[in-house]
Amino acid sequence: MTAALDLMRTHAALLPLIIAMVGAALAMLCPPRLSWGLATIAALLCAFVTADTTVRVLIAAAPLWSVAEGVPLLADGIGLFASPLMAAVAALALAASGAVLSDIERRTWPLAMALVLCQLFGWLGALAARDLAGVFVAIETAWLASVALLAFSDGRTALGGALRMLGAGGVGSALFLCGVGIFYRSVGTLELSAIATAHIESADAAALGAGLMLLGVALKAGVAPLHDWMGGAFTRPGGPAALVLGTVGVIGALAVIVRLAGYVATSPTIGEGVSIALAVLGGASVVIGSVQAVGAHNLTRLAAYAGAAQAGGILLCVALGSPAGFAAALVQLTALAAAALALFGGAAAGGVQSLEHLDGLGRRAPLAGAAIMSGAISLMGAPLTLGFLGRWRLVEAGVGAGWWWAAGAVIFASLAGVFYGGRLIERLYFRRAGDLFHGPNDAWRWALAPMLAASIVAIAFGVSPALLLTAADSAGALMLGGLP
Amino acid sequence: MSAELALLGVLATPVLQALLVLALQRPPGLRDVVHIVGALITALCALRLVGAAAEQESVRLVLAQPLPNVGLAFVVEPLGALAAAALSGLGVLHAVHAAGMVRATQEKAPARLMAFIALAGAATMAVAFSANLFTFFVAYQALTLAVFPLVAHRGDEEARRAGRTFLATLLTASMGLFLPAMIWTYAIAGALDFQPGGMLAGKVDIPTANILLVLFVLGLAMAAMPPLHRWLPESSRAPDPALVTIQGLAIIPAGGIGVIKVAAFVFGPALIEARLASLALIGLAGVGMCVAALIALSRRDLRERLAYSCMAQSLAVVMGALVALPMGLFAAALQIVALACAATTLSMAVGTSAAITTRRNVEDYVGLGRVMPWTFAGFALASASMIGMPPFSGAWAKLWLITALGAPAGGLMWAAALVGVAAVLTFAHLGPLAASALSGKAPTDAFKRPDGASILLAAPVILGAAATLSLLVLADSLARFLSPIWNSAP
Repeated sequence: MTAALDLMRTHAALLPLIIAMVGAALAMLCPPRLSWGLATIAALLCAFVTADTTVRVLIAAAPLWSVAEGVPLLADGIGLFASPLMAAVAALALAASGAVLSDIERRTWPLAMALVLCQLFGWLGALAARDLAGVFVAIETAWLASVALLAFSDGRTALGGALRMLGAGGVGSALFLCGVGIFYRSVGTLELSAIATAHIESADAAALGAGLMLLGVALKAGVAPLHDWMGGAFTRPGGPAALVLGTVGVIGALAVIVRLAGYVATSPTIGEGVSIALAVLGGASVVIGSVQAVGAHNLTRLAAYAGAAQAGGILLCVALGSPAGFAAALVQLTALAAAALALFGGAAAGGVQSLEHLDGLGRRAPLAGAAIMSGAISLMGAPLTLGFLGRWRLVEAGVGAGWWWAAGAVIFASLAGVFYGGRLIERLYFRRAGDLFHGPNDAWRWALAPMLAASIVAIAFGVSPALLLTAADSAGALMLGGLP
Repeated sequence: MSAELALLGVLATPVLQALLVLALQRPPGLRDVVHIVGALITALCALRLVGAAAEQESVRLVLAQPLPNVGLAFVVEPLGALAAAALSGLGVLHAVHAAGMVRATQEKAPARLMAFIALAGAATMAVAFSANLFTFFVAYQALTLAVFPLVAHRGDEEARRAGRTFLATLLTASMGLFLPAMIWTYAIAGALDFQPGGMLAGKVDIPTANILLVLFVLGLAMAAMPPLHRWLPESSRAPDPALVTIQGLAIIPAGGIGVIKVAAFVFGPALIEARLASLALIGLAGVGMCVAALIALSRRDLRERLAYSCMAQSLAVVMGALVALPMGLFAAALQIVALACAATTLSMAVGTSAAITTRRNVEDYVGLGRVMPWTFAGFALASASMIGMPPFSGAWAKLWLITALGAPAGGLMWAAALVGVAAVLTFAHLGPLAASALSGKAPTDAFKRPDGASILLAAPVILGAAATLSLLVLADSLARFLSPIWNSAP
């Protein structure tokens, strides 16, 4: 057992990627229901392997290992923090998708499960890639898997949404590639670890390249105003596509932005320009996402727009370029992951599309109602939730750097959260059910329970978040102070 | 019982009470006993804490550490102990009255109503004993969320609209104004712990102090400072037991406690730096008092009239707290007790009257005292206290307030005059009403419940009215008891 654990730890950087890829291949070959179980187990294994490394390095302060020669991977603080988060989110989403798989044709279930694991592979790869080329390839893998998953959903609307995603993703990819090209011409390297010490010939061009790269990924993360594709992608509430895309897809892309920013926004030569770009984009996303969420009439879209507002907060954090800023971004990322799981899971459990479907859901489906309420109060930034903690850390870091306006943006997001979150809670608990229950009603509906319960527990972690804060602080410090 | 255990008891008992009330909905008798016993235990714990505060025991309870150097902490100090004892003591009467009301009105969801009343009580206790601004903010938000279901209890469109107004106003003010002030204070003082003498004392410049004071006071919308007072009249259509909680036992007192805590423990001597803002806010509160009392005069529905009347009384707390004098703080603390006693009694009396007679309009009250003498005797005494007639509680609070405002150190004769005008207007909207109810000709038409009010409905009103005499005998002792608050005040 110990030997197996040692072997696992020796190959800890590569193992999650192998598990995800092999799991995807096996899921393709299995019967429909078995493919679901296998994919879930593969994601859980990924979560276990990555969490083991994270706990040892970020909490127990074990030394950061060096990746075996020849494998183009690079371990850093952000990657170490975000990888288990990603894998856990994917595992929960995969487990929950068991309840809503009937939304797509039975014969495509194995393929859908394989695509989710491909997404996980892609985002984990982007969080561990050693150079920008590797990051690009990994992001594309994840994104194309997302598009394909959406395309397999029933109905022309889903196909239309997939085409919009494909188009938007194409633009994002072009921006990223252009950025890589310009960046390479100015910096002379694609190695992430070499950026901080590289001799940069043209700072403006390098900053432009970095900005385009971040813009490309921001488009895929649904950062406002680059999130036009979301309207089409989040039309159907119940299927696995919205569930996975709203959780795994968004969190993965945001984690990659934080990691890239950890290298480019902290560079002494180009950091300032990149920070300004991130701050402007972040501020705009907070405002636009919040306003759109207030006006949304569809729960999954509301969750997506509120997520865009939260994503803006994350960009503001990383724009600070300090260890405290990166730690705050990671806490916000965790808070967003918990809220997204709660809202998208709750929407799938209740079959909620229009907000009217929420009426009385708190009584008809108590766990789903509790999850949506938890997500709503976390998005509001109510005290003692993970959402409040994330915002508090942003304000703390922002005020420390003299960015008072960032505190203003956070308060604006919270105020908007009061309106859209309050509306959700009122419908859940203070209205009579006006329609039949739309959610899954067979025994498989219990597959959603772990996701909903985990999201509620995660949001409640805001009461005693010492472990999370320690890990986030270590990750931020390791990213900026301990570049390998 | 140790003081720490009593502090835990005062916070946890109402929560447990709420859970038990929901779990033991049937038989109704058991549910009501649980509700009343829970309120009684809370009151006993609060009384124990008054003893601890009088002995100047150091009692602190940290429930969690949600932020690196800020805990979810509670501490026993004189202001919190006094408020908790008064509110939980009246809470026992309210529990008995609520048990009678849900029977008399055949309430459809009595357990839910009682459970949220208990949860509101827990949050109010947490507000009173909060040890720092963060804990206060958490408790304040919890109180808002606990009372929202009470406001929207009826579930019809009108109730939902009232609930939305209530939630939007209180949460928006606390997040949009109070939260920035809290963050700013943290940035200046590096901590959020309440300190006798003020955490901002000597650390804040004049412009910052003025802005911070405005943000804090307006952020505490529970104090009903105009223009953030719409939630109060809007919520006046809530069920009668909920109204007692909103106006007498939880929301308005919590707003008052918040303003006093900010003035004494956040600003302290720094209130002098914020002189411009405090004068403006005192002026706003004074004018608001008069206008609220005037609007009350124009309202025919008793619930709306009481809502505006309570608003006027709540603004007196704000004026006392901001006058930057020890006697102002004392007046504000007394006013919270007086307001709680009078508002609770009046709301219960109005509820009893409505349950028995279905009458709620001013013109329908003529002669009702002839058929419900106990209820309307209580109504009259509580009205006298609200007006500020001696020897009732309201008189002592207003006397100290006028003295503080008009004293040479206060130098605000105009503000003292506004308090006097508001008292006259309060007399105009409550005095004749009580008099006509007691002296008018008894109505002859049949009531909804011709057998009259049960003891569960009448006794709490009488006992509440008796409580309005409390300050007559306790004022001196309270001055000594509360002195640690202002010993370091400006």
